[in-house]
This record gives sequence, structure tokens and C-alpha cells, in this order.
Amino acid sequence: MYHVNNLSEIGKILVDNLNRYYMPFPVDKKVCSGWAKDLPRGGDTIIYTSCMYQIEPAVGMFLKLLPSISSFKGLMPLARLVKPSKSQLDRAYKILNNIVKALEKSGIKPGYLYEEEPYSGAILLEMGFLEEFREYAKKVVSLFKEKGAKKIITVDPHTHNALTRYQEFVKHDLEIVNYLELVNYTKKVEGEFTIHDSCLYSRFLGLREKYRGLIEKSGIKLVEDEMITGKDTSSCCGGPLGPVDLKVSEKIAENRAKDLEKLSKRLLVVCPICYVTLLPHFKGEIMDIAEVIF
Amino acid sequence: MLSWDIAVNRAINNAVPKVYKVLSEHPYVEELAKRLREAKLEVLNNLEKYVEETLQSVKNNGGNAYYVHDEKEAQEIVGKIVGKGKIVVMGKSMVAYELGIRKYLESLGNEVWETDLGEFLIQQANEPPSHIIAPAIHMTKESVGKLLKEKLGGVDENSKVEDMVAVVRKFLRDKFVKADVGITGANAIAADTGSVLLVENEGNIRFTTVAPQIHIAIAGVEKILPTLADAMIEPLVQSAYAGLYPPTYVNLTSGPSSTADIEHNRVRPAHGPKEFHLILVDNGRVKANKDSVLREALLCIRCGRCHFHCPIYRAIGNIWGDPPYSGPMGAMWSYIVKGDAKPAMYCVHSGNCKEVCPMRINIPRVLEHIKNLGLHSQTKM
Repeated sequence: MYHVNNLSEIGKILVDNLNRYYMPFPVDKKVCSGWAKDLPRGGDTIIYTSCMYQIEPAVGMFLKLLPSISSFKGLMPLARLVKPSKSQLDRAYKILNNIVKALEKSGIKPGYLYEEEPYSGAILLEMGFLEEFREYAKKVVSLFKEKGAKKIITVDPHTHNALTRYQEFVKHDLEIVNYLELVNYTKKVEGEFTIHDSCLYSRFLGLREKYRGLIEKSGIKLVEDEMITGKDTSSCCGGPLGPVDLKVSEKIAENRAKDLEKLSKRLLVVCPICYVTLLPHFKGEIMDIAEVIF
Repeated sequence: MLSWDIAVNRAINNAVPKVYKVLSEHPYVEELAKRLREAKLEVLNNLEKYVEETLQSVKNNGGNAYYVHDEKEAQEIVGKIVGKGKIVVMGKSMVAYELGIRKYLESLGNEVWETDLGEFLIQQANEPPSHIIAPAIHMTKESVGKLLKEKLGGVDENSKVEDMVAVVRKFLRDKFVKADVGITGANAIAADTGSVLLVENEGNIRFTTVAPQIHIAIAGVEKILPTLADAMIEPLVQSAYAGLYPPTYVNLTSGPSSTADIEHNRVRPAHGPKEFHLILVDNGRVKANKDSVLREALLCIRCGRCHFHCPIYRAIGNIWGDPPYSGPMGAMWSYIVKGDAKPAMYCVHSGNCKEVCPMRINIPRVLEHIKNLGLHSQTKM
């Protein structure tokens, strides 16, 4: 335990991939865009996935390879491995389509950049590559402007956090809003769940009450405990530590899953990274709120 | 379940609800914390001036005051004051640990005893501390019993905690009585009066600061506050956010002991120490103060609350950070005093630490900054 990966080397590879593909590792862009069929291409207001829900189920394989990454000559062969299964993709696509349906019910018809959609750069920010994040943020802002986007609707906490922080690094006039700020629940749901909060939504981005409100209005009863699901106490899933030290990341996930299991065998999450990180450790059912209340 | 998991879960479940209860029963503490942050910022904005004022104030009280840049200078001064073949008792001091004072004094041929129970256990086990105010938190009561059985006798792994405490109390009382020098840290130092504030529950600091003929206080420059009124706030805030409120003892020392009982003339010494020495330490703090992001770390009052809300500490705590600096605050301090950016790399930006920090330090932002510095320089990784 406690063996940090070669972060400088990983950083170089991430930056190289971002410059080449607008993604932190090579990915077939059709995997990212395959969920959207009828959305207009581009426009003033766009839904922005950053390919998080789509690719996250396959990131575990990439993380396992990271410690020996410097021995790979190129990453293209990895692209074949970093591909979610059909069932994983079906789930991700359903979540994204549910979010679009909820937005449309609220009177918002977003466009989408399809295979031209860039990744946000969140991994650089979260690993501490601030200078690299600044340079990449400039590129993404330029790309958004070039495509005519003015209002960006994010769908996951890591992307939302990265974009809201662009302003610290590059001046822009893009409006960044999260879908949770724009939608209402669309389905009445009965039953009990417990909840694993997104650290970023809950403690950095001010959206904790927003999604809890939607969940409770939908009819779901949340099983809570101040020592497990309180704002100050609800732990990280461990996912963001994966690129640094996968063993410690998994230990955190194990701790978190054990705590949550004490409250309910049905767990709601609001972040694709939390879902993937907790899934192997949580003995019960995990669902994203966008699978349940929309 | 691993022994660390057992020990830290017990500590979290004991400590966290206690802090909530203390803050709810004494809401003024949060107001005091805000005032303390402002007072500490005032000093950091004018650090040189306040260091000078503090040194002069200590001298005005009949004490000796020193400013040291690094570990070597600190050890030399302490070594000169203590000498050789002495009995030294220490009240738990993170800065003394940071500067290797105990080991240095032992190398000179002195008998040195940690007197805080947790730190005493650490000394006996020859292990690094695992928490800023509860250094032996990684030990279960069973492992403490086993250790004391080996070192002092009289108890074993099945003994009650009360009996374990009694065995150490009996052993250390003898050391307090015979000690030549007492060494402590400082929770706060008042620039205007040169007074040192120390908060504790065990009574070991009282003994350490009063029984021996020489008292040495060693503290980082970030412990200075503008006035005695400001400095008095710190022990209250620190103990409340550590969940130990009210503190059993708050000690105030302004120079060597004195009496004014004859014609109201203040004469030194009286019954307590005849010498008082304050050693103010830089060791990376002044440089950190010049960095607008790192400066925030200097506001830390070492209550240790962030540890109990941090998923990383819970997962790997007792080996995360450079001793004595563990936990989220330790990841900041490992960089400030050791130039070690590796602990910061482990921050998952869960944000719990910033939510509970009484000084409102955005610890994840400081650690993000350290990550960036570490990744772009040749600092220790």
C-alpha cells in the first residue's frame, strides 16, 4: 500500500492524448456519441457529456495498466481495451437520453457536438497538472466558441467542476450550468434508497440540496445517517485516486461501500465515477439518479 | 479487519459526534474561530514585525528568545541550554518532533521522556505518531496493554484503560520530580506580551512547565498572535474542534516564575522555573508565507479534526505524510517543512476537510497547488 505511480510520465501521456484526440486516452469517438440520434449538431445551448458516462466503465482497465504505462510504445493498442461492453454502453446511453428527456420536459432543447465534443480536462486538474490544465482549457474554450456554443449543460460533477474552474485559468463568457439545476423529476418512484453524494456536487459546487430535493420529490425515501451520509462525513468513493494509486483508491471504495451497506442495499449515485468505483465493492444494487427519477 | 481500521473507526466514532455536540452547545466558539483566523492573518501579513515584537516582549519579561531558521540551529540552541547528562521532560510538541529535538538531546547523553500519554506510547514503541493530537491513535487498547506490559509491567493486553493510565502516571511522576528541563511547544504566542499559551487535559504540561528549573518552549512563527487577548482564543477553539471541551487546563507562561509579594516588586524566580526560553522556528514557514496559496496552511491550529473526516487518512493514515504531520493538514505541512509533495498527491479532493476546518482553510486547494509544484519541480516525490 502507498506506492504512487510515475505521475510525471502519466501527465505527459495524458497531455499528448488530449492534444491529439481531445481525450485523455485513445477512444473511438463513436463510443462517446453513439447515444445521440436526434439532437441538433451544435447550437447556442449544448449538452456536454465529456464522454464521462460512456467511457468510465472501461477506465478501470486503463488504470490497471498505468503503473507500467511508460513501457508501452504507444497507446493505440490500448484503445481496443478501453472500450465498454454493450450492456455498459446501453446503460450509459439510457442515462444520457433520460437527462435529455428531462431537459426537454423543462422546455430546453439542447444541441450536441457529437464526435467533435472534447473531454473537459478534469483529470489534469484533479491530478494537479494545473499548467497543463490551463493550456488545455484554452483549447476547449476556443473549440466551444468556434462551434457557436454559449450555454454548456454538464451532466456529471467532474466535468461541471472542471468547466466552472476554467474561469480561473482562461477568461471566457460561456455559461456553465448543470442539468440538475434545470430539470424536475419526471417519474414517481416508491421505495427506499441510501445515497452516496458526489464530493464535488456536495461540497464544492452547491448542488447537494438540488439533487436531494429532486429525489425526495420523486417519492423516494432516503435512508440517512449523519455519520455516513452527512455533508461533512460522507466519504469520497476513492475513484479520483485511481491514476495515482489504484490500491488505495480501492481501499477507500471498500470502506465507503461497507458504510453504505449498513443503511440500505439500494444505493443512488450522481456521478459515473462513483458508480464504477463502488460497483465491485457494494453488496446490493447501485443506480444513477438519472436511471431512476427520469 | 486490520488493527488500523479498528483503531481509526473507534476514534472517528468517538471524536466526530463529540465535536458536533461541543459546537452545538457552545455556539460562540465558531465566532471565536472567525476572529482567530483574522488575527492570524494579521500576523502573516506582517510576519517580520510580529516576530521582532515577540522576541522583544519575551526579553522584557526576563526570558530568552531566539529565532532559528532550521533544524540544525534549533538543535544547537536547545543543546546549549540543556547540556549533557540531564533529565528532560517533554510536553507533546509537533515542532520539537519536526526538529528532531528528543533524539538530538538523547544523542548528547540526556535522559528524555515524552509525558503526553500518546507521545509516551509512541516513544516506547519507537513508532511515528499517527495523529496531530492523538499520536497513538493507531494503537488499539489491546496493543497499548501489550506494549506497557513489555516496557513497564503491571498491566497487559486485557487490562482496563484506567489501569494502563495509572501505570504510566506512576512512572512519569518520578521523572517530573527529578527533571532538570521541561520542553513544550506552544498553541499560541502573544506578540504584545511574549506569553505562551498551552492547552492540555492530562496535566503533564503543567508539570513540564513548572516543576523543572528551566522551561523551553519551541514553536513555529505561525503561532504568533498580535495580542494576549487574541492568543487566549486559540486554546478554546483548538480544544473545541478537537472535541475536548472544555479543556482541563490552559497554561499561560510569561517568562520565568515571579513573585511580587514583597512591596509589590516583581522578582524572578519564585517557585517555578528560573529560566524561560522561547525558540521561534522558521524551517520553511517564512517561504510558505510568501506564497499566497501555501500561506493558508499556516493558519492551521492543529486540532486534528480534518483527519477524522478524510477518506485517505482513514484508508492509510498512520503512514500518510512525514511524521509528525499526517492527515490532510499533514499533507500540507509535509511540503512546508520537508519539501515533500508526495502526500499531497493522495488528496482525492473529497472536500470534507475544508467543510470542518475551524480556520476555513480550503485544504484541497492548497494540496492541489502543492501537487502542481511537486509535479513541475525536483522536490521530493
